[in-house]
Amino acid sequence: RVSSDGKPPKFQPPPKPVIIDRKTQKEERRFLSPEFIPPRGRTDPLKYYIERKDMIQRRKVFNIPEFYVGHVLAVTTADPYASDKSKRFVGICIQRGGKGLGATFVLRNVIEDQGVEICYELYSPRIQAIEVLKLEKRLDENLMYLRDALPEYSTFDVNMKPVPRMEHEEIPVNKLQVRMKPKPWSKRWERPKYNIKGIKFELPEHKMKAAQKWSQPWLEFDMLREYDTSKIEEKIRKELSEELEK
Amino acid sequence: MRLSVAAAISHGRVYRRLGLSPRSRLDLLRNLVTALVRHERIETPWARADEMRGYAERLIDYAKRGDKDERAMRMADFWLTEKDLIHKLFKVLAPRFQPHPGGYTRLLQIPNRDGLDRAKMAVIELKGNPLPPLVRPRRDSDKTLLNQLLKGYRQDAQRAAAA
Repeated sequence: RVSSDGKPPKFQPPPKPVIIDRKTQKEERRFLSPEFIPPRGRTDPLKYYIERKDMIQRRKVFNIPEFYVGHVLAVTTADPYASDKSKRFVGICIQRGGKGLGATFVLRNVIEDQGVEICYELYSPRIQAIEVLKLEKRLDENLMYLRDALPEYSTFDVNMKPVPRMEHEEIPVNKLQVRMKPKPWSKRWERPKYNIKGIKFELPEHKMKAAQKWSQPWLEFDMLREYDTSKIEEKIRKELSEELEK
Repeated sequence: MRLSVAAAISHGRVYRRLGLSPRSRLDLLRNLVTALVRHERIETPWARADEMRGYAERLIDYAKRGDKDERAMRMADFWLTEKDLIHKLFKVLAPRFQPHPGGYTRLLQIPNRDGLDRAKMAVIELKGNPLPPLVRPRRDSDKTLLNQLLKGYRQDAQRAAAA
């Protein structure tokens, strides 16, 4: 630099390289399928341990991908009455239920103006393939309100191509607010007990206020209802990683 | 149709029904928790003390997180109706129970209440409280088998040492 007084300019060391440790970032975003977490209750943990062993055995043979509610999946099951002996169904996952080997997920689609929901068991040997076509999470954990929404929100092309996705990226959350058919609905989705954020309620103000009458604000402070699964999840994750590496 | 037996089966329900409604049950337990934090030893019907125990211990677990934690402060604000006790909870009780992983309360049954209802009463107290102890641990009497054997062993050892 010109501004130094006769002496050579002070040595500026080069900027230190920023090391992005991809391995640690990968480990932070580990997904544990919800059916592995045992529910609260008085059952013997041995039952869940044995079930987990069977689940891991099945996962070694058949790949169950990571998916959440709101993903669009294509499932091929074995069917003795079909000409190809297999059946393929594409739909949006609206609910994941059950724990252990009986874990299920419900796929919904509208085919020829008829809404169809099929409940599949994740660990059933009849399932031949599960492909994730579109990855996106929604604002809620349970999309049962799609039954009362306009059919356009549940229609998905049966021959849809899988949307390409980069590995190790955040799963995008679709903040879509769904429009509903006129009331009556199968459940009163405006009530606070369902806590639905993904519906664009076009009800009048007084109806929304009347629905708030059923809110239970004390439930948030009821400490005994909380189920802290962090330690259980850690143990199960360790167990899974050990078993799957074998 | 034996309705009475069927009415008594609850099939795994853990929460007792107290008060007039679920809101009233929580308010009742909240008053008891506040009283426990204030006086550190209270005498109530056994059912209420048993329900309250879980909430008191969870409240102390929340307090252990520290008062900077937003959720801990909201819980303490809801559960303690007298706001000067929030300071006591975070500054006195949380450090007192920091080394212990759980079991901060002691529940002991007392003789039934004197009134007409003869209710089963209990005393619930926080461990480490400054009040005089409720139960004095008694040493085993000298006449038990183990103590007699130990006494004999000691006498034999003395005789052997003297000889």
